[in-house]
Amino acid sequence: MSAAAGPKLAPYTLVWKHEAAEDIWDICLETEGELVQGLKPGMFVNVAVPGDPSHILRIPLSFYRTDPVRGWICMIVAAVGEGTRRLCSLEPGEGSTLLAPLGHGWRMPQEGAMRALLVAGGVGAPPVYAAARMLQARGIDCDVVMGAKSERFLWKEGAQALSGNDSGAGYESALSRGGFCEVFLATDDGSYGYHGFTTGLAEELVGKHGYDVVMTCGPQPMMAGVAKIAAEAHIPCQVSMERMMTCGFGACNTCSVQMADGTVRACCQDGPVFDAEEVLWK
Amino acid sequence: MTKVKMDVDLGGVHMQNPICTASGTFGNGRQFESFFDVSELGAITCKGVAAEPWAGNPAPRLAEITSGIMNSVGLQNPGVRGFVEEYGEYLAGLDERGCRVICQVAGHSIQEYIDALDLFEELAPFAAGFEINISCPNIACGGAAMGATPEAAAEVVRALRPHTKRPILVKLAPHDVADIARACEAEGADALTLINTIPGMAIDVRTYRSRLSRPMAGVSGPCIHPIAVRMVWEAAHAVKIPINGVGGVMTGEDAAEFLLAGATAVSVGTANLVDPVAAPRILSELEAWAESQGVKDIHEVIGACRC
Repeated sequence: MSAAAGPKLAPYTLVWKHEAAEDIWDICLETEGELVQGLKPGMFVNVAVPGDPSHILRIPLSFYRTDPVRGWICMIVAAVGEGTRRLCSLEPGEGSTLLAPLGHGWRMPQEGAMRALLVAGGVGAPPVYAAARMLQARGIDCDVVMGAKSERFLWKEGAQALSGNDSGAGYESALSRGGFCEVFLATDDGSYGYHGFTTGLAEELVGKHGYDVVMTCGPQPMMAGVAKIAAEAHIPCQVSMERMMTCGFGACNTCSVQMADGTVRACCQDGPVFDAEEVLWK
Repeated sequence: MTKVKMDVDLGGVHMQNPICTASGTFGNGRQFESFFDVSELGAITCKGVAAEPWAGNPAPRLAEITSGIMNSVGLQNPGVRGFVEEYGEYLAGLDERGCRVICQVAGHSIQEYIDALDLFEELAPFAAGFEINISCPNIACGGAAMGATPEAAAEVVRALRPHTKRPILVKLAPHDVADIARACEAEGADALTLINTIPGMAIDVRTYRSRLSRPMAGVSGPCIHPIAVRMVWEAAHAVKIPINGVGGVMTGEDAAEFLLAGATAVSVGTANLVDPVAAPRILSELEAWAESQGVKDIHEVIGACRC
């Protein structure tokens, strides 16, 4: 093992899991506490999943919560592809290796920020959850919009935990909360909460309240919409971009993000969190 | 500590062992220093760099396939000046630590190759040699076409040869390797690197579109390994200059196959992106294999395939 600063390779095992919504799993991986210590909200890990040597790539995954003391990384994984299905079917005690900590996470807003708007679409929810906790700890109030296609894909446990109505995840209650958090749920088909896209709800909220910062993670068209709403209201906006990734640490140049100034940045190393105004939206 | 003498001479690039990294799969070395001591390797090949910066291809640039990947990066690079500014000091230090640095030269035309090589000559004293990439499948008008025929490959090497006294390696496309190898050797190439990725297609059957941003992309990984071994074997029988074998090396035994087929050095590519400690693991596995064969000097196995 080299002493140079940067990400490391470490073994992990799955500690627990449960299905949080349809084909959406809440899973907890245990690894070296020192690596978990380095994982800040909005960063990610690149996880090898055992069971199929013909699929060689790791899976880059965000997390909603970490516990450096126990070496825990808690994540919400949609079992949509071959690799994520294999990960979600691991049993406690099974595992492989992961790379961590990777990327640059959410940045603390400017001094004096009082209120934040956070917008999550689909599996963009975990890093947004982590952002809310980071901001609350600084005494910043958060309005969190969480959207999904339909009620059965909504991460309601996360929403409940954030809004303080949680009874399931017991460890959360031990956290001292600073800022207040209100969660607004939206579904594309209207089966639960606001009927429509998260951007519609975000626009309504921006019209009603003064926000000091906006943070968003989800499908790129949704983030482009949120970025536009924030720009029109002159609110600084951070976006967590998603790309197909290979290495996760800046070696292969496959996860490029086009910037407004014509340059190309690596999502894994320069991001995944960028200032919305830096990104070329098209 | 191994008992096997592992050092090799790749056309004037003096390597402490035969393990190198393939261009585009190893950043420029520094990204891997937190995982292992990169100076343990024989050499690294840096990402292809042109005289001026290139933006590369749009996303998506990657698709996973069975036992491999496809990429369409398109040689995104910061230009020679930007490359040296960012990595020059690190790479000079890496050379001092005992690991040779091979700089890869990219271009869309012979003049662009010359411009890039001249800049490298001026700004990159740390480079032990230059790998000329005449075979990238992911750029629109140069690359693959440049190295597509023996005549075209010869023209590139002939034009570049007077511009450096340092070793020139030519990276070959995965076709007609014996003829193209002979043409490069005749024009004064010091070594050959083969193979580059194999052009392929992957189609999304829901959208009827390519899974990457361009119709074709380069296939790499374990699925191309036997093809690469065969081509190294063909090239090794065609030329006397040494060969750097590349293609789907995941284990020490995969590396041993390349040596047996006639390669003097072996580059680890896609494996670096999956397992960041693949290259040093493959090196130690190769040493263990050589020991198990009773080999005293790794040269005993180069080209030793009995067929």
